[in-house]
Amino acid sequence: MGLTPAALLLSLFFVGPSLWALYTSLTNKALVGIDAARPRFVGLDNYQRLLSDPDFATVVLNSIVFVVGSAIVGQFILGLLLALLLDHAERRRYRLATIPYAAVLLAWVNPTVIAGFLWVAMYDFYYGSLNTGLTALGVGPVDWLGRFPMLAVIIANIWRGTAFTMLIFLGALKTIPSDIYEAARVDGANAWRRFWDHTLPSLRPIAALALLSITMSTFGTFILIQTLTNGGPGSATETIALYAFHEAFRSYAIGYGSTIAVVMLALNVAFAVLYLRWSRARA
Amino acid sequence: MEERKSPVLSRRAFLQAMAATGVVVACGTTPSSQPSGSAKPATLSGTITVSYPDELGAKPKYVDKAATDLKAKYSGLDVKTDLQKISSGDYYTKLLLALSGGGDVPDVIHVGGDRIGELADAGYIEPLDKYVSQWEDWKNYPQAVKDGVSYQGKVWAIPYGLDMRWLYIRRDAMDKAGLGTDWTPKNVDDILNGAKAVKDKVTTVIPYALYAGTAGDTGTANHSFVPLVWAYGGEIIDKSSGKWIGDSPAIRKALDYYSRTYTGGLSPKEILTTTKPWTAMREKEGKGELALLFEGGWVYGGWQSAPFDKAATQKNVNYVLHPTSTGGPAFTIGGPGTVWYVTAKSKNKDAAWAFIAQWNNKDTVAKLNIEDPHPVARSDAADVAEFKAQQYLVDSTKALEKAKFIPTDSNYGKVIGAIQKATGRVAAGEMSADDAAKRYADDLKQAIGADKVITQ
Repeated sequence: MGLTPAALLLSLFFVGPSLWALYTSLTNKALVGIDAARPRFVGLDNYQRLLSDPDFATVVLNSIVFVVGSAIVGQFILGLLLALLLDHAERRRYRLATIPYAAVLLAWVNPTVIAGFLWVAMYDFYYGSLNTGLTALGVGPVDWLGRFPMLAVIIANIWRGTAFTMLIFLGALKTIPSDIYEAARVDGANAWRRFWDHTLPSLRPIAALALLSITMSTFGTFILIQTLTNGGPGSATETIALYAFHEAFRSYAIGYGSTIAVVMLALNVAFAVLYLRWSRARA
Repeated sequence: MEERKSPVLSRRAFLQAMAATGVVVACGTTPSSQPSGSAKPATLSGTITVSYPDELGAKPKYVDKAATDLKAKYSGLDVKTDLQKISSGDYYTKLLLALSGGGDVPDVIHVGGDRIGELADAGYIEPLDKYVSQWEDWKNYPQAVKDGVSYQGKVWAIPYGLDMRWLYIRRDAMDKAGLGTDWTPKNVDDILNGAKAVKDKVTTVIPYALYAGTAGDTGTANHSFVPLVWAYGGEIIDKSSGKWIGDSPAIRKALDYYSRTYTGGLSPKEILTTTKPWTAMREKEGKGELALLFEGGWVYGGWQSAPFDKAATQKNVNYVLHPTSTGGPAFTIGGPGTVWYVTAKSKNKDAAWAFIAQWNNKDTVAKLNIEDPHPVARSDAADVAEFKAQQYLVDSTKALEKAKFIPTDSNYGKVIGAIQKATGRVAAGEMSADDAAKRYADDLKQAIGADKVITQ
């Protein structure tokens, strides 16, 4: 009984839209033209089309690079490092530790679109601050978004999202009692051993949770890339989420866009199962 | 979607319909028998919402004036204006979501006339025949203009300023490049020769801007790909069968032109990733930091006032028609421009029409088109002395005689999506022109159905 409100909310905001997307993916519904007025049921046509769509392989690959680069390598590792440093600083009562803490948090509390525009202001070829600085130094401007599009969006996303992992790990680190370290120190364990034997095992369950949530949110990242490169140049930064949006709202094919969204949902569920199993096995 | 078309009325829908009819009767308006644009106005009441995008800032005062004038005519009528300060592309997506959803929609909308087919087929807009047939001013619109806003035998929108495009050439840049101030391209490939000369000799000026990819929005199609296909003697749609052409020698040549432009470094790759690249490109052309740009005729208007200088613009910006590959007759791309529609879901269509008729008066049409330069849609507005005094507008109006028009086909929106992909792939160097042409045919088949695509 206690779960009823949660179940209601879930069905309202998650199950309902998912079912709608699933249904729409079986139609040729469009935003314009005759298919907008009278959409037809087309069975699995959209799924067949997706499998034979050469762009789909590209966007899946782009998504993998983006998730691995910005979530797993960037946010996860950087978040963990920052949390360790901050925890260490707090345990030693370094006062200035609040400054990096606040800086990282600030990146996170911005609405994504603002974060996106901040980076546009950095990278922009003509008016961006990076190129203004380079030009002042006598070095020619660099086409950041044209030459290193994927790296550019990955860096922006790491900057944007690291605070989340950092907060989670910081919380977990605070639950480790100081006397464990004291005891280890008395036993003659060096810093590395203390980290390996005590800190890391305590973080393992929370690490799975952090990985799961950042993978999923990064997989669905769309506003940041849209603001920075809109998937370009060509399809160099077109990820699955952006592809679904472009098909649905730029090519006006709602049915096909929904198909891509459904596949994305399935991939997310697969990630979730994988991570949860992994965390249970280790816990 | 299906439910709305269902012939069986639910009890609730029936009651709602009755209630709505009751309101209309109570207001004393009989929707079909008393057209409101005629000399003797019927009584109009209720509220209408006029929704329109504007980034330039020229339109709002005319919209507000029309709203005020209309309210003065009909004391019981309220006109709400909804100005959206976003690009027309973003506005269109937003509007489509509202129109396809179940909620309230604006009564009057303001979208490009090239969207007529897809909006009409979707059932979003109302035919205006019964209104224009009683509208005295309609006789001032040339037949070609009327045809431009007709689809399947019906009139769907009222235009006011027609679209045309120019190839803008900076005289100062071409002079520095050693080609002289009066240089114009002899044929389409000569544009690239001019750009190459600028690239080699004038390092501070971007040689050329050729829109590509999704970032270029509709400009990728209307200001770049489509005129190139025409320049190489091809078509994008087969007029007799109404089928879109997926692959043809002209399409391959157009894409090869893209390839030569981008691999030669003649057009900046930033166009592919910049948000609204046209904003930067128009500004640079006006400032003399870009040499060659094929763009809307209205863009010239932006170079008349600060931060630009009117005299400098007149001195340095040359404008010519788009050349062809053979050096044959050059052309421009015509279009009905941004037009006013009445939505099919509007509950107060008579009042919505009355707004459109009020707005499109001779005076407003002349004044706005001087400010935001377009050839006028109603020919009597071209007789206004202030309009005639503008050489640029006279030239633009004359250029329409050489205009080719993008056909009003309901699939054009989806085709633009495929064009963006094809040009983006070539410009980014991901594909050769021939491969991209093959993919363009496949993409079109996927997007609009294999039966609607042919190859030549």
